[in-house]
Amino acid sequence: MRSRLLVVLVLAVLSALAFAEVTISVVACSDNADSLKWLAQEFMKKNPDIKVDVTTLSWEVLYPRILADISAKSGAFDVFNWDVMTAGAVSQGCVDLFEFIKQNPDLVDPEYDMDDLLPLAKNLGIWDGKLVGFPYFNNTMLFYYRKDLFENPKHKEEFEKMFGRPLRVPTTWAEAVDVARYFTKSFNKNSPTQYGIALMFPTTHTMFYMYLIFFGPYRRSVEGITRFGPVDLDYGDYFTSDRKPAFASDLGLKAFEDMKALMPYSPDPLGSDYGETLEYFAKGIVAMVPQWTNPYLQFKSSPALQPAEEKIGIAPMPGRSVAGNWALGINKFISQEKQRAAFKFIQFATSKWADKEKLIRFAIAPVRKSTLADVEAQKAIPWVKVLPSIYADETFRPRIPEEPRLEDISNINFAKILSGELPLTIDTLNKLAAEWEKVLGK
Amino acid sequence: MILPAIVLFLVMTIYPFIYMIYNSFTNLDLSKKGTGQFIGLKNYFEIFQDRLAISSIEFTILLVLIAVPLEMIFGLGLSYLLRDLFGEKVLRSLFLIPMMVPAAVGGFGWKMLFNFIFGPINYFLGLLGFQPIEWFGKLNSARMAVMIVEIWQWTPFVFLILYAALQALPKDILDAGKVDGASGWKLFMYIELPLLRPIIYVTLLLRIIDVLRAFDTVYMTTYGGPGSATSTWSFYAYKVTVSYGWNIGYGSALCVILVIVSAILINTLTRILNIGKELGLSKE
Repeated sequence: MRSRLLVVLVLAVLSALAFAEVTISVVACSDNADSLKWLAQEFMKKNPDIKVDVTTLSWEVLYPRILADISAKSGAFDVFNWDVMTAGAVSQGCVDLFEFIKQNPDLVDPEYDMDDLLPLAKNLGIWDGKLVGFPYFNNTMLFYYRKDLFENPKHKEEFEKMFGRPLRVPTTWAEAVDVARYFTKSFNKNSPTQYGIALMFPTTHTMFYMYLIFFGPYRRSVEGITRFGPVDLDYGDYFTSDRKPAFASDLGLKAFEDMKALMPYSPDPLGSDYGETLEYFAKGIVAMVPQWTNPYLQFKSSPALQPAEEKIGIAPMPGRSVAGNWALGINKFISQEKQRAAFKFIQFATSKWADKEKLIRFAIAPVRKSTLADVEAQKAIPWVKVLPSIYADETFRPRIPEEPRLEDISNINFAKILSGELPLTIDTLNKLAAEWEKVLGK
Repeated sequence: MILPAIVLFLVMTIYPFIYMIYNSFTNLDLSKKGTGQFIGLKNYFEIFQDRLAISSIEFTILLVLIAVPLEMIFGLGLSYLLRDLFGEKVLRSLFLIPMMVPAAVGGFGWKMLFNFIFGPINYFLGLLGFQPIEWFGKLNSARMAVMIVEIWQWTPFVFLILYAALQALPKDILDAGKVDGASGWKLFMYIELPLLRPIIYVTLLLRIIDVLRAFDTVYMTTYGGPGSATSTWSFYAYKVTVSYGWNIGYGSALCVILVIVSAILINTLTRILNIGKELGLSKE
């Protein structure tokens, strides 16, 4: 009797262990959190033995939090949702997914299809030959404009009278200046909007990517490629191919001149950030705004922009777009059991099905070729159609570990240049480049 | 009984402090592998060549020289004017609200108030015939905006202490002054103010200590910008140490300097203002 009871007890313990719930903790940026929470629910329905908790942090807090976790090897989070430009620093604490897949073939979904991942999105998650994260959010900057105003015959006629050329969505920043001027009340009393364009040049990380949409056209031009060489995947468009600051040049100055030329037609460009420029466009204060993919849903629901399909136009950036990709990686310093559960989740969250669902539900730009080609996806979100051309030549920021420090120095100096506190000269840019080289230890 | 408190103090305060001093002599950078070597005083020498660090010191000094005196004047004025006023209790509670609002909430609220297009401040300026101000987009206006928020948040602290002190002034001395013909302004200037002096000095000292580590207002409103116009010493140390790259070694050196400067300043002020004697704590 006793031995029977013992066997029953042992079996009960073993079965409890077998069906025990593994909890994985995901730390995510606020831009990705809603979609990840929804995907976590869907994942748990299919995997009742794994519980997924998603913690949301703001961009400013997320990166230091991940680094702290990695440095302390505390394993506070099992899955990191990280900005790809922090790849160099974050990679030291992330599992190499190439190696993990080799060692755990039983976990790999045969339908996952690595080749379906868009090349740049995938490559930005690779550091030092290791795949440190599956691409999750292929964010990029778009040029939103007031379609109704650009198509209005009265404005077309007035614009042509004023500038001697037809009103059209600008394809260069030089063209954008005239259009922005036309739509600014203080320069044209008949303007239907108060300002032409909403620009965000604050002293935050926003400045660092905004500069690239102006510098990108020069860096990627024939002249830029000839002088600076091809763009290095680790060092990005800010650098030459031999890893020297490319912006410290006459082309870098031209980018600043383009930025300054637009500033009079923008409400408080140096004091406005992401949130403010969203509001300016959503409330009909401005005619144009360079913004990321995901604010589209906010614009679409704004009362001032109804009917949305008639009022919201979306085009590629007049200069070049900039990548703002996010990846999902697994913490290296957690147990094998948790790593396996975490892998299942990130594989699910970046699968073909999830890629399409998160696009349609949350406007999370896709990382897969199949989603871009999907008719339903194209119908649901209008910018899907323009994405392939943007993805083909978008710029990107450095991914080296020193990136945040370079970014901080640059944000401050760029703001000083734009405000006139520092002169816009090659000497100013050379001094900044010298500071960069000091950080890089050259 | 006292042992747990001592242990807690050692673990939570002394150990991190010593560890911070140690780190300030290393090149520890959490974003890079293989750092943490001893580099002597290199971090300290670098601070004096760091334009951003110097700019942060400048703005911190400006806060001490402009915001703190204004807080003291407004706090003292409010505490004086509120006495015996109709609705004193209600007003007293209302005046304390800014101090009780979390800095993050207050900062966010002010960010909306200062908004260039939608902000009520520019709206009212417009009604008065003024052009809207780019509060966070221009050097001087951004500095002014941060100071306004600081003054708004911390004047109630000065008010609270000085109001309580005014209530506690010895009645017999005030009555004697009144018998001698002093009233109103004279009574305040020649009797009440001298009696308040020790408390005013202590409040001033507390405010200076607090402003030296000003962080949250800047974080929530300007993020140190435009450029480095509104970056305070603490905010810069935060950016270096936490937000932009985990340069623990250099950030620790910045913090050590802040501690040293604060200690020197407080010591000097305590001596100049003779606070020990004013409070009756020293025999000099």
